[in-house]
Amino acid sequence: MRFVARLKTTEEAKKLNQLGIDVFCLDTEFSAKKISLFNLEEIKELTKTYPNQISLNINKIIHETDLVRLKEFLYNLKTLNISGIVIADLTVFVLAKELDLEHLIIYQPGTMNTDTFSETYFFQRKIKGITLSREITLDEIKKFGNTKLELSLIGHGYLDMFYSKRKLITNYLKHKELSGLDLQNNYDLTLREEIRENDNYPIFEDCFGTHIFRSKKIISYEELKDLDLLIKDFFIERIFLTDEEFYQTIQLYKNQISLEDFLKKYKDFDSGFYYKRTEKVKGDLDES
Amino acid sequence: MRVELLAPAGNLEKAKIALLYGADAVYVGGLSFSLRARASNFSLEMLEELVVFAHSLNKKVHVTTNIVVHDEDISGLDEYLLELERIQVDAIICSSLAIIERAKLLTNLEIHLSTQFSVTNSSLANYFFNEGIKRVVPARELSLEEIKIMKQNSLADLEIFIHGGMCVSYSGRCTLSNYMVGRDANRGGCAHSCRWLYDLYDKDKLISENHDFQMSSKDLEIVEYLPKLLDIGVASLKIEGRMKSIHYIATVVLAYRMLIDDYYNSELKELSFYKNEIQKAENRLTSFGFMEGDTTIQQQLYNYRSEMPTQEFIGIVKAYDPIKKLAEIEQRNYFERGDAIEVVSPTKTFTITKVDVLYDEEMKEISVARHPLQKLYINMNFEVKPYDLIRRVK
Repeated sequence: MRFVARLKTTEEAKKLNQLGIDVFCLDTEFSAKKISLFNLEEIKELTKTYPNQISLNINKIIHETDLVRLKEFLYNLKTLNISGIVIADLTVFVLAKELDLEHLIIYQPGTMNTDTFSETYFFQRKIKGITLSREITLDEIKKFGNTKLELSLIGHGYLDMFYSKRKLITNYLKHKELSGLDLQNNYDLTLREEIRENDNYPIFEDCFGTHIFRSKKIISYEELKDLDLLIKDFFIERIFLTDEEFYQTIQLYKNQISLEDFLKKYKDFDSGFYYKRTEKVKGDLDES
Repeated sequence: MRVELLAPAGNLEKAKIALLYGADAVYVGGLSFSLRARASNFSLEMLEELVVFAHSLNKKVHVTTNIVVHDEDISGLDEYLLELERIQVDAIICSSLAIIERAKLLTNLEIHLSTQFSVTNSSLANYFFNEGIKRVVPARELSLEEIKIMKQNSLADLEIFIHGGMCVSYSGRCTLSNYMVGRDANRGGCAHSCRWLYDLYDKDKLISENHDFQMSSKDLEIVEYLPKLLDIGVASLKIEGRMKSIHYIATVVLAYRMLIDDYYNSELKELSFYKNEIQKAENRLTSFGFMEGDTTIQQQLYNYRSEMPTQEFIGIVKAYDPIKKLAEIEQRNYFERGDAIEVVSPTKTFTITKVDVLYDEEMKEISVARHPLQKLYINMNFEVKPYDLIRRVK
């Protein structure tokens, strides 16, 4: 299993490498929910130092006006030693295929890779891998793994659960005629639902829209042994984590610190949907 | 090619109403593999009856098989797809690659890609066209200009939402409901958590007031943009709302039917005419979504309140006796003798009259109609037909 995480700065790569990150995922101009931004020159330099250890994050929804620029961007990657291109919109796969780059594509749409057929479908289309959706159970995950397609999982951190093109915070502030709240790279905003006062849902607005995240961080330490047999790339998501927490998270999964010590210091974790099935239809669940 | 007007239907009666009132096709959910689990979805027998009815009018039935499947959902899929083909549904609407590929392998069903897949450009539409998908329902986040460019460059037919409720997120990219109440938004269990009330905090500082941070959008209504959309030449115009009432469906379908026909016949009226028709049944605030590009506060729904339709649906005609000049109706809402009413028919006629005489089922004269579904008789000096709708003029 390789550990994958987003890189904040070029200088940070050495530290993350030493801590045990195998693949650095770089935010690009086509990344939603950015924590940093790497231009082509910086990407080139990093691929020289870390050949086949760099993947690129192209996870915005691709609109008609993005197509030409995105294809140019992808074309520039042809000569670089990159490990993968993480995408949320299959359009990137379509464009990459036109450039014979589909073997680099890792399809990470968040919600769509819920059945083992996805694995077959994308193996036949010769992409590199798929990231399993967050809404499936550990038992469902164990059914995957019958092809050579590389499977990945976002196993730690705040997972997003909502992507809107609408600028919901900007609009709300305009509606209320409020000023003074800087939304640029503001990672401190949260939502609290009327009757769920103990749950703080991080909300982040960027030029591509609004993103809402789970109130609890997923942690997969206990499941790592099971996952290790199936999962090639284990993503540690660092958005909203302090650098210190992020670095210690890597150490946790590398068994450099104990789970007990880690949980003494850091709170608000759960196991996501590993052991919890979602209802298909409205059932007897208490919505309160 | 004339555009298709595609309407939703939550049950057989609504589907027939939609087709009679001017829809060229309806889309409905079966008992399996369909989102909108709370709509009264169709059994295969009902679907078959609907297909026969629609085809007798030279119209079409599309069946939604648009859940994002998990392995546990696949059981019965093959048999279901084969049955849909046997009863000759005209298309299935899918978002799951598993369902698409099984349908391709086992049947000759026409496949449409659901808006749940959030296709936003022609490159992806063309990919799916080459994969055997005839029609794509693009994301509702496209501007009119983007739709125009997409149409110019797409091999696939485009089906564009023109009216009704819409997800605040890119469709299919939201799991608020999964996380907040354990109901799978992409398998029919959406709890509409995006419509709840929230507070916004910056660190510990409360920014909002009294849970007034809201994400809800106004419903879509793009009457003003419809002529341009018709010029662009999209294949289908789609109304949302499988949970809506027959009155809503009949009213909205008829308004757009008139608009489309009038445009093609170069007889377009002031657009306010069509908007006023819609208002007779519309109970939500509306706006034009992403037609002009990024949305603003104008498209958001703050301080939500229900809108009152300008007219109230009071009954549906079941039969007419031309000798006694009596209409048999099924009551749907309270009304009284003396009320001014409007009778609307699928033939686009609107007749204002008054309830002069009102009888119950035993032909006993009564003054008020207060029992839902009660069989009643009203005097009508003009001929009415089954499926004509009666509204109280406010």
